[in-house]
Amino acid sequence: MENKDQYLKDLDVHAILGHEKEADISSDLPLRKWLYSWLLDPNIEGNFQKTIDKWISILIVMNLFTLVFEHLPAVYEPNKHWFEFFDVFSVIVFTIEYVLRFYLAPEDEEFNNQKNARFAYVRSPFAIIDFLAVAPFYLKSFIPIDLRVLRFLRLLRILKLFRIVIPAIQEFKELNKERTFRQKIHALVFPSPYGGMMQNIFEVFIAIWVLLSVLAVILESVHSISYLLNIQFVILDAVAVGIFTLEYCMRIYSCVEEPGYKGAISGRINQAKNPSTLIDFLAILPFFLEVLLHHLIDLRFLRVFRLARLLKLTRGSDATSTLFKVIAREWPVIGAAAFIMILLVVLTASLGYLLEHDAQPDKFENIPTAIYWAVITLASVGYGDISPVTPVGRGMTIVLALMGIGIFAIPAALLSSAFTDELVKERNQLKAELFTMLKDGQLSDEEIVFIRTEAKRLHLSIEEINALIQLVLKEFEEEKNHPLPIHRIAEKPDLAVEHFKATLVQMRQLGLLTDSSTFDQLAIQEGRLSADQLEIWQKIQSMKG
Amino acid sequence: MEHVQETQETPRTEKNYGPNAYDYVFVGFLVVVVVLVTWLGIKNYDEAVKTERAKSNGEAWATWLTETGLERGNKDFKLNGCRSGVKPDEEQKVGTWGSCLEDIMTKSPLKDQINPFLKTKPKLIPQCISTDRTVIGDMVLEKMVATPPGSAIPVVISQLTEADSIQDKMQIRISVCDKGGYPIQVSELEF
Repeated sequence: MENKDQYLKDLDVHAILGHEKEADISSDLPLRKWLYSWLLDPNIEGNFQKTIDKWISILIVMNLFTLVFEHLPAVYEPNKHWFEFFDVFSVIVFTIEYVLRFYLAPEDEEFNNQKNARFAYVRSPFAIIDFLAVAPFYLKSFIPIDLRVLRFLRLLRILKLFRIVIPAIQEFKELNKERTFRQKIHALVFPSPYGGMMQNIFEVFIAIWVLLSVLAVILESVHSISYLLNIQFVILDAVAVGIFTLEYCMRIYSCVEEPGYKGAISGRINQAKNPSTLIDFLAILPFFLEVLLHHLIDLRFLRVFRLARLLKLTRGSDATSTLFKVIAREWPVIGAAAFIMILLVVLTASLGYLLEHDAQPDKFENIPTAIYWAVITLASVGYGDISPVTPVGRGMTIVLALMGIGIFAIPAALLSSAFTDELVKERNQLKAELFTMLKDGQLSDEEIVFIRTEAKRLHLSIEEINALIQLVLKEFEEEKNHPLPIHRIAEKPDLAVEHFKATLVQMRQLGLLTDSSTFDQLAIQEGRLSADQLEIWQKIQSMKG
Repeated sequence: MEHVQETQETPRTEKNYGPNAYDYVFVGFLVVVVVLVTWLGIKNYDEAVKTERAKSNGEAWATWLTETGLERGNKDFKLNGCRSGVKPDEEQKVGTWGSCLEDIMTKSPLKDQINPFLKTKPKLIPQCISTDRTVIGDMVLEKMVATPPGSAIPVVISQLTEADSIQDKMQIRISVCDKGGYPIQVSELEF
């Protein structure tokens, strides 16, 4: 038990959560080794390697976008200087990266076992790609290169992404070694322990296309932009639909690997009925309907539904799923509040019509018009296009406006309190899980993965997880110092059995530790124990195991 | 014992993790989807190119009218129907938009334009109507008349009719009807 306590006390939450861990790199290292350890070593957790990779990737993607926009004279010509500035900036960053990798190559385990590590680096495929990414920029200073060729050569910068993608593919292959084709597809499109980095890349890829296509829909509504970029928007939409359609098909095909969606047909139908998959379907439907039916009816209005693609981003959002869960749970209460609201609206609208129709037949023309007035008043919007003029009508409006403040606040208050409750409930669940996990004094790999996932899902910081663990440890301590009263133990038979076993063990320990001859003398000769008590004592002491 | 021996010697069947028949069907389906989306994308692209051509027609009108607007007051200006500073006379076919239009359609480079959607000559129509499929790719020319300072609306836009005078400079707005019959505003110019 002593060891376990020690272990619990020394729990490294940073290590459990696997992030923001400070790298343990000695400052006594030679400069080159020290630099490599901080900047490029993929095996040292907490160094800047991942951050550098991330920002280089972002810069590559931005380069790709600038390359696309450079082909649009309307965008390029007025912002030519900015494009050039960005190109110079990119080349400087990529050159620094290349030089750094070249200088640090002797420290890289991939090259340091070769005769000339730096030469080996220069010959490596990634280094060639890195070189091609910057070479045209320098080359054009010496040789006049056609702008189109230069742009094509700059397109090679995208290949730099292979530095991220190839290791991710290798990791994905490794994780899915003995798995079927469908399971691999599942690992790629659904979050699972088999997805690895590749699944993250897939999600980021989809998210980028969602943002691009939504941005395109918004910009299409700006006449000056859509006039210039109409064809580009059409191409972008077709590519986005192609990607989203493939993603949809892959989800439907591989969903049977997901728990709860077993069954070749029923599982897939259930998946298709799933709200997030329905959103995926809505994101691609307008394209097909518009292209196939445009000669029959004008389906331009469907274009606005392309904005629904933004909802695709909610797939990975735990907050959204919590909100949906809360709405589903509180639906009867929200329904009741909505019913009261509707009742109030109809009643006040009818009264408004009754009181104001004669005075303003054009404004309070009928009850539906009065309903519009009632809702605008109740919701405290008050456009003022319809307002009462009779004294009774005005008096009623005062009451209505005051009631509206409370009535319309009910659903909002219900939702917010239910949302908070849900978060508290989920954190309590995690606390209970932590309590169970820490009971045996150690954390298995699965338990660490679970804590990591839950911390991410519940958006808990290291400090919060630490606080939860401290709370659990405190409760352990409390439980040890203040055992449960006997009537509380008796309430739970399984606890009662454990308590009985523990009592037996304690009695055996007592027998082993006490002076048996003195005990016998007191118990038998002085008659301090009855015959039955003595028999039980002797039985316990003679027990095995 | 013999039985056990036999069992032990039976070769172990390795589980096949490669794609099965269903997987191939799925991959085939994905290929069909890609082909379908590409085909529909190309169709959309073709339509967009037609819209661009219709816009180019409108832009050509805008360029020609703007350039002509600068020259039509000159004595050596050749298109009599479009000359400015001449009193409108429908019989003489001068000074009206109708007379100018006739000259444009017979003597100017705009006479050879083609409506990319209907493969006919683009018509000048009063307005684009989304329910009327015959107006696709056609053009709308409207005159813009500035209202007195302080008016709620700065400019009044109305249809350019054949009887309208072109004696003085005038503001014109050009739109083309897209494939849905909705107007795309091309340019506003001085003629």
